[in-house]
Amino acid sequence: MNSNKPTAYNNRLGIKGWVYAGNYTFERYLYIGHRLSGLGLIAYMVLHIVETANRMRGEEAWQGLMALFASPPFKIIEYLLFAMAVFHAMNGVRLIITELGFFLGKPKEPVYPYSSSIKRHRPLTFVIMGLAFLIIILGGSSLFFP
Amino acid sequence: MRETRLWSLHILVLPIIAVLLGAHFAVMHYAPVFYGMSVEKAREFSTMIERGKSITQLVLYILLLAAGLYHGMYGVRGIIRELPLTPTLAKLVDVGIIAFGLFIFALGTYVTWWTYSYKIGG
Ligand code: HEM
Ligand code: HEM
Ligand code: HEM
Repeated sequence: MNSNKPTAYNNRLGIKGWVYAGNYTFERYLYIGHRLSGLGLIAYMVLHIVETANRMRGEEAWQGLMALFASPPFKIIEYLLFAMAVFHAMNGVRLIITELGFFLGKPKEPVYPYSSSIKRHRPLTFVIMGLAFLIIILGGSSLFFP
Repeated sequence: MRETRLWSLHILVLPIIAVLLGAHFAVMHYAPVFYGMSVEKAREFSTMIERGKSITQLVLYILLLAAGLYHGMYGVRGIIRELPLTPTLAKLVDVGIIAFGLFIFALGTYVTWWTYSYKIGG
């Protein structure tokens, strides 16, 4: 698209630039996950507000909807939603910690072997993602081990 | 400066979302754990109306609507504005996002109010 025109922010690769991370780092994939889960959550939230507005059509319409949501496909969707929310929130906490400059180590001269702030930050990343994984599994425990 | 403020708000609403969304899940999904009530019962029409009569719940839902929608819509705006847009298009995106967000917020607020003022038996 019009790459020579003045733009608010020139993202040369467009959508491809978001989705394809190739051989980049773990954090680059977390970014994709954060973006997808954020979009998933806001899409859900908007639908959810429209859907719960059905209560104004009365008790029967509402009970019909709730019965629909109790069916197996919706249980799976609901679990995915939960997983997305947990991942997004936990990774969000990691992002805020990073943005505030914690756990990045002190800046130093680039002497071989190089150490990047991302590498110094990585143990924390693993801990947070481990926690998120645990919460997601525990939250669905009644689903997995009935 | 304006952009910084918008971003800061995006981050500052997070504690509100974390607490209220946590509570929302507790009510809707973990009702057996917290209220000794089955999940189906927690989502029944009469239970919802009963819950909805409290002024606290009215205020908290409107807060969650505002915080969640702001955080989410600001996020979507950021994503769309990373695309190569002309300044005019970027402006249009802003206006569209604000209009859509306000519309959904108004709908949600109206519905919560409807629940709050619902009279049992007509
Ligand atoms: C996002 C968080 C949620 C998670 C992690 C979750 C998880 C689960 C799990 C694991 C089950 C099966 C076992 C059980 O009954 O405990 C379940 C059942 C159910 N969930 Fe959810 N759920 C979530 C949200 C919701 C929401 C928002 C609704 C309603 C709109 C809902 C409605 C139901 C219903 C009706 C059942 C069947 C209950 C039963 O058979 O006792 N859940 N959920
Ligand atoms: C406690 C819960 C949450 C936390 C801690 C959280 C945290 C974050 C953080 C830190 C960012 C990145 C901001 C930045 O670096 O500039 C973000 C982006 C975003 N969030 Fe959330 N968030 C939460 C809940 C939600 C909810 C409920 C929604 C949807 C309604 C949502 C939608 C988004 C979207 C769409 C983005 C933009 C993603 C992107 O630019 O790739 N988040 N969130
Ligand atoms: C799986 C989980 C969820 C279930 C079962 C669920 C269920 C419900 C129900 C039954 C209501 C009607 C009000 C009431 O009964 O008190 C409601 C309202 C609401 N929910 Fe959820 N919800 C879930 C997830 C979410 C998420 C993830 C968000 C935000 C991102 C959210 C935001 C809201 C808001 C803002 C309202 C008020 C809507 C309005 O006033 O129009 N919910 N939810």
